[in-house]
Formats: sequence, structure tokens, C-alpha cells
Amino acid sequence: MTRSRPFSARLARGGISAIALSLALSLALSLPLAGPAAAETFRWATTTDPQTMDPHAVNAAPVTSFLNNVYEGLVRRDAEMAIEPSLATSWAPLEGEDGWRFTLREGVTFHDGSAFTADDVLFSYERAASEESDVRSWFAPVTEVRVVDDRTIDFVTSAPNPLFPDSIANFLIMDRGWAEANDAARPARDAENFATRNTNGTGPFRLAARDPGIETRLAPFDGWWDEARHNVTEAIYTPIGNPATGLAALLSGEIDMISPIPLQDVAQVEGREGFRVLEGLETRVIMLGFGHDRETLKYGADAGAPNPFLDPRVRRAVALAIDVETIDRIIMRGKAEPASQLLPAGLSGYSEANDAPLGFDEAAARALLAEAGHPDGFSFGLMCTNDRYINDEAVCRAVASMLARVGIDAELTVMPVRNYWEELRADNFDMYLLGWSPGTFDAEHPIRFLAATPNEETRVGSWNFGGWSNTRVDELLPLVQQELDPAARQAMLDEIAAILQEEVAYVPLYVEPLIWAAKANIDLVQRPDNFFMLRWVRVN
Amino acid sequence: MIPFIARRLVQSLFVMLAVAALAFALFRFVGDPVSQMTGVETAPQDMERLRVELGLTDPIPLQFARFVGDLVTGDFGYSYRTRQPVGEMIAQRVPATLELGLVALLISLVVGIPGGIYAALHPRAPGTQALLVGTLIGVSVPTFVIGILLIFLFGVKLGWLPTFGRGGTVDIGGWRTSLLTLDGWRALILPAITLGLYQLTLTLRLVRAEMMDVMRTDHIRFAMARGLPLGTIHYRHAFRNTLVPVVTIVALQFGGVIAFSVVTESVFQWPGLGLLFLESIRFVDIPVMAVYLVLIGFVFVVLNLLVDLLYAAIDPRIRVAGAA
Repeated sequence: MTRSRPFSARLARGGISAIALSLALSLALSLPLAGPAAAETFRWATTTDPQTMDPHAVNAAPVTSFLNNVYEGLVRRDAEMAIEPSLATSWAPLEGEDGWRFTLREGVTFHDGSAFTADDVLFSYERAASEESDVRSWFAPVTEVRVVDDRTIDFVTSAPNPLFPDSIANFLIMDRGWAEANDAARPARDAENFATRNTNGTGPFRLAARDPGIETRLAPFDGWWDEARHNVTEAIYTPIGNPATGLAALLSGEIDMISPIPLQDVAQVEGREGFRVLEGLETRVIMLGFGHDRETLKYGADAGAPNPFLDPRVRRAVALAIDVETIDRIIMRGKAEPASQLLPAGLSGYSEANDAPLGFDEAAARALLAEAGHPDGFSFGLMCTNDRYINDEAVCRAVASMLARVGIDAELTVMPVRNYWEELRADNFDMYLLGWSPGTFDAEHPIRFLAATPNEETRVGSWNFGGWSNTRVDELLPLVQQELDPAARQAMLDEIAAILQEEVAYVPLYVEPLIWAAKANIDLVQRPDNFFMLRWVRVN
Repeated sequence: MIPFIARRLVQSLFVMLAVAALAFALFRFVGDPVSQMTGVETAPQDMERLRVELGLTDPIPLQFARFVGDLVTGDFGYSYRTRQPVGEMIAQRVPATLELGLVALLISLVVGIPGGIYAALHPRAPGTQALLVGTLIGVSVPTFVIGILLIFLFGVKLGWLPTFGRGGTVDIGGWRTSLLTLDGWRALILPAITLGLYQLTLTLRLVRAEMMDVMRTDHIRFAMARGLPLGTIHYRHAFRNTLVPVVTIVALQFGGVIAFSVVTESVFQWPGLGLLFLESIRFVDIPVMAVYLVLIGFVFVVLNLLVDLLYAAIDPRIRVAGAA
């Protein structure tokens, strides 16, 4: 790297004006300050600052990912996303009623030294399930939480709930004494409270300094119950919103790791010695949705005409007309993976029986359109984000031009995500782009949110903007949620996956790639949920 | 003088009200804050409840009245994103932006004024031609491109200067300054050049044009004829006369420097007001956006007022006209 070249060599080059000389002198003086920091200091950046340090106030990935380094749950996910013991050492279904009993770990202390007990779990449950909390939906099935003794706690559910332990991997435990003493017994609603900028968890790192939006420092917690695999003595986090700046910060050596980097910068990083790109697949499936509950089209030249997407043959034609492999190759630079279902292959509940995507077949698409009574095609409106998913606008443009080749004309509207959901909720689309990452990493999640008929009372189908409705799927969903036998459960999930594919309720396109970059001397684990866990970081 | 100031103050009040109305109108289009504040798994009912709590379902005139009322009473509310008091968030970011703006201004003056004088006095010199071509580039290349180029040259390729942030800051009674440490200056120099470049080219060209005009006037010719030393003619007689328009433009531009530091701050991850504003737009953090926009409006109003007063101080003829 340039940095290592002798400074005098740089001075000697070229004509040096007085300004450059004084600049150079000031640099010479400051070089010791800029030299490589202690080996175990780890600096990283992402695009979005976690907006709060309160684990129950906001259910957003930047917050949950960051706080998983500071707080811990009863269970946690390992590098392959499997559930493993954390603050609970074991768990088992309750006998005689529905629910789970968790046996808690001995000898765990919070960062302030107070002991971790079942009462803290009860408190955290009350806090996380309160009206002020944004994670209360995790506890919708819970009817009661009972402290049996200091090391045992029962979560009673309204029905059998085999996935409950999986669903609370991000339920982070806070100390009752600390929260109550600091007036933070509930998540902040209007004004911030003590827990917004301070923490007291049991995790491997404690908050050393917090400057919202600028810099957050973490220090290892000496009293952590688990054996530390990392060798970080100080971790410094900086949000860098501009991707070009983030890349420059990495290449100049000021930060050790950044997530994510834009697809188009991958080659730049790979081409440089001392850096590497970490690629993986995220758990997010990008798909197209339709307005299933609309009698007429809303946009395009045919606005007001009967909605052709009510016909499953037309939906199938759309799926057949889109060449996902080409989108992957050109727009996603070969880093995505074609998808056949609402969740990526390999996650729990994925239907192996329905693994094959519909494929690309323009002739078949045209034939289906003609059969459905649209030999000359039609015109409609496609809604799309331009700042939410990787190259989302480019993907939508490609989809529109591919659909044009079979004669259907998509009038594309793109907008930032901050306006997008409002438009979708107001039914302002004929077709739309959506990305979905199953929060529980199980097939039940997308079914509950995207495939179930929207129902305010049971709170299902809240992201089913098109109002797709199938009585069999609605019938199976509660059974899936309660089935304890894995084989029987998978059979039902297979049936739902088959219905979704047969009816082309959505057109799954591809699984989004996950691209991080780091210095070559950094060992880390890239988990598919895009969480960055400091406990696996080694600075070599 | 006093009626003049009073009149200007009343006018300013209306301007501020108009700014507030515009800002408020803008919020209808920035998006839905509640979608940004809640996770995907949040039930629609809970989102609706939050919407009611935030007063977003109230009639629009009522919302506007509350918005203006809160601003007037100095109750800036809490950020939707961080839940921090908005006043505190803004106050924390002001030093970074002001220091950046002032140093950018300083660079533009220190280079722009002598450059302009030189270009005016030696119109045919190769140096002048080079300066003029340079300024053309300065006005035509977008700020973010210049910023990125500087970062990759001095930050990545040469490794001399940091690529982002403020470097070492020192806290003096709540004012976090980067002017007292070498590290702070190293971090400041690239963003300041990026931000000041446009201002610099403008100042240089303005000084040059004004100076050339003044050099053609009768009193300079007379001074020449009297055989006064060239230095005295150039700097005491000619340059002073070019100052009036220069001061106006420079001061008015300073408002622009503060307002448009958004781009520079984003490129350098400079933790000032502009960056805060950008983050707030992305998150539909309406309380922060509102206070920022009104504050920027206020800065412009105050600068305009100051320029009017400075005018009178520099040019006695204006004082006479005002008194008449």
C-alpha cells in the first residue's frame, strides 16, 4: 500500500509549492497519530445507524443485529442459523398444557454485575409484550409467563407452538433492577428514556460510548459466561451512508469491514491485495405480487378494463415471460439465486417437492395469454422501489422489457421505500415488487404474512397487499402453526407451496445476495440473516 | 436606521412563516413515518395506534397550527427515529456544519480574492488563463464528484488524509470543535475544499470582473495620472471599491454553503446538520426535517439582514440614501 512508502520519497517528487509543503509538514507531524492502531481494535461500518439501543423499541434489522452483541436471548442462532442454547441451557414442551419450559443458565451476570434470574426474563417479557413495544407480535401466542424458580420459567401458549423457541431468538433479555431504577421499565414511546442510549445486557460486548449517528464503541465484557472466540479488545462502529465513501474508508484502511457494498464495487475490492469480499445469499426472496382482489386495472392504457391477473393463466404467463437467469447474470452479476418459493432453499419448512422454478418460456407465455383471451396483450401498472433492494429499479425495468416481449406493457412507477408501503396499502398498483425475509427463518412466516387472507382480528396477511385468498391455505395455516410432528407439518407446507405455485399467487424471482467486504486479516462469520456478530471476529 | 431594521424584521417574520408553511406542505409528500418506525411484523392496528398518538390523523389545519405553535414556543419535539429531543440533536450537529462552512468560506476568500485581483491586473498572463479555466471546472463539476475524487486521491491512493468523519474533536462547553487538533484539521481539509470550491470560483470571477470595472473608472485613471504608487492605487483605491458587491455575494452565499453542505457532508460522512437532514429524509423523521428547514430559512433571513447593514457600513453613499 501507498501508506508504507517512505514519506521523504513522496516529498521529493515534483515541484512543491509553499502550500503543499506546509500541508506535507502538518502531515508529517500527524503521521504517528494515523499509524496502524492496536491489532485488536476492530472498526466496522454499515449504512444505517441503529436508531436506538433499546432491544424492544424497534423491530428493525440494524437495531436487532447490533444489539445481539450486547444483549442476549434465551436461545441464539449459530453460524448456520440453527438454534442453540444461550441464556437458557435447555427447553422442553410443558406437560399437561401448551407451551415451553426454559431452564436458565447458572452464573450469568449482567454488565453491571447483577445476577441474571428468571425474574429478568419475566420482566423482559412484560416489557417486550407491552403496548409500547414494537416486538410484541412475537408474543401473540403467549397467554401466560410463570416463574417456577430462579432457574426455570414457563411460557404458556394458547395452542401447541413447536416453533416458539425459534421465534424468540431475538427476544433480548434486560435486567429488571437496572431498567426500573432508571425509569426504563417500558420502551420509549415519545421521548427517549435511559435505555435508548444505555444498555445493560449479558452479551459478549458492553456499550462503552454512544454518539448516535456518528460513532458507537463497544468493549468486551470480561464476565461473559461463554468462552470468547473473538480477540477484539475494542470495537468501533461508524455508520457510513454513502457507499462510495464506505468503500474508500475500507480501501484506505480506516475501517476493517463494511456491510454491504454495492455489487458494482465487488471487482474493485477483489482486485486489491489485502482485501476480500464475502459473498453469501441473504434469506430475502424478491418477488412480484398481483392485485388479486381488484375487478379492474388501475394504471396504464387499459386502466378501468377488467383485471387480467385474476386469471391464473395470465399470472403463469408473467412468470414464464421473465428470464430470471438473465436478470441474475446481468443485473445481479451472477450473485443471486433463482427462487421457486416465498423463502430460499434450505430454510426450515422449505418444500423440496416444489423446488423447481417455473422456468423461462416465451412461447408458452404467449400461448397462455392467447388462451386467456389476451392475444394482443394489455397494459397495466407496475410499482417498484428504487432504494430498498439491490438494484431494484434495474430489475423492474428488466421485468417490464421482458413482459413487453410477450406483448404485455408494464407502465413502471418507481419511488423510494419511504413512500412505497403507503401506496401499496392504498392499493395503488396492478403489480408490485416485494422482497421478503422470513423473520423466523421458517416457511410459516411468509405464509402468515403474504399468503393468508388479510384478517385484522387474527393479524395475519398484513403484507398480502394484493389480497390473495385461498381457503385451503387459510385452513392449513393454523394447523401448520400447531403441528408438533415434523413430517406431518412438512406435508402441509408442501401442500401450501404447491398451491402457491399452481396458482402463481406470487412470482418468486431470486434470492438476494449478501455482499460484505473486509481486510484480508479479519476472520468473521457472514450469517444469512445479515446479522454481524462480533463474537466471531478475529483480527489476525 | 432603526425603522429600517424594524421594517426588515417584520418582513423576515413573514418570510419565516412562509418557510414553515412550505416545509409543512412538503411533509405530505415525504412518505409515511409510521412504516419507517415499525418493524415488518407489527400489526396494522398497532401502526394505526401509533399514527393517532403522533397526531398524524388530526385535521391538517390543526396539525399546521400545532407545528407553528411548537416552533414558536421553542418546543421542537422528539425525533421519530431516535426519540431524542430535536433541539438537542440539531444543537449537537451545528458546530460541525458551521466549522466546515467557515473554513470553506475562508479557503474561498484566501484563494479567491488574491486570485481575482491577480487575474484583473494581469488579464493576459498565462496564470490568469489557467485560473479562469480552473474556475470553469470548479463551477461545472458537481460537488459530489469533486469530493469522491479528492477522497480517492488523498485518502485511498496517497493515504495522506482520512476519508470520512471529523477526526479528533475537542469538547469546549458543549461545542465540539475539530479546529484544535491536527487530526481534526486533517479531516476537515478535504470537505472544506470540496464545499468551498464553488464559492471560490464565484468569488474569484466576481473580484476579477469588479476590479476590471473599477480600474477603468475616472478616479483610478486620475490616480494613475497623479503618479501614485501602483500598490496604493490597486489595493487602497481600486480594491476597496470592488468590495461592496463581493461582500454581498459572499455573505449571501454563506447561507448557501450551510444549506448545500448536505452533499459534501454526505460524501465525507461529516456529522453535521446536512447529514442529519439526509438521514431524516430517508427515515421520514418529520420533526427533525421541520426544524432543520426552518433553521436554514432563519439563517438566510439573518444573513440578508446583516448584508443590508454591512452595505451601509462599507459604502457611505448608501448611508446617505437611507437617511434621505
